[in-house]
Amino acid sequence: MFGVVIDSPEQNAAMIDKLELPFPILSDPDRSAAIEPYGAADPKDQRNIAKPTVVVVGTDGSELFRMESRDFADRLPEEELVEALQAMDLPPTSQEPPVTGPAEPGPKAMPREALVPYYRGARFAAVALGNRHPQAKEDADRYVAQMDRYVGALKA
Amino acid sequence: MHDFTITDQNAEDWTLSDHLDAPAVLVFLRGDW
Repeated sequence: MFGVVIDSPEQNAAMIDKLELPFPILSDPDRSAAIEPYGAADPKDQRNIAKPTVVVVGTDGSELFRMESRDFADRLPEEELVEALQAMDLPPTSQEPPVTGPAEPGPKAMPREALVPYYRGARFAAVALGNRHPQAKEDADRYVAQMDRYVGALKA
Repeated sequence: MHDFTITDQNAEDWTLSDHLDAPAVLVFLRGDW
């Protein structure tokens, strides 16, 4: 598994350290090398970020699987992703944890201890919006579940 | 396949085709953190 983002190697090293990520994060700052060619750029978003997307590339280079979110705030449900990958019956493999070099968090990076209250605040806002706007309730509920998963992961 | 070379968290080159001894899961994250 390999992450791909627009951030610098130093920011990615800091993110790996902070979240104890077991996989490398690769830097594609202008999106031209991987993010755009793999259809993970969001043309509606002007911030040059990527749209959360998972692509499985087979040993022959073919695309075996793709799952895309709708926008930057929409994260792929981990359970669905793991279930889909398991259904592909791929051969078992292993991956050494990444070694990080010099780390420098980006200007927007939150310290780990701030993430739980942040996710709780986002959860409360989503609950309120879902209750105010019935047409958005399904989306709000999905977001609430996402925040609950994040808080659970941070407390694990 | 679209092959590509970008840099890892150590600012070292990383090429997709060098990592296809097993299927590779590419996770594109939003970034700008």
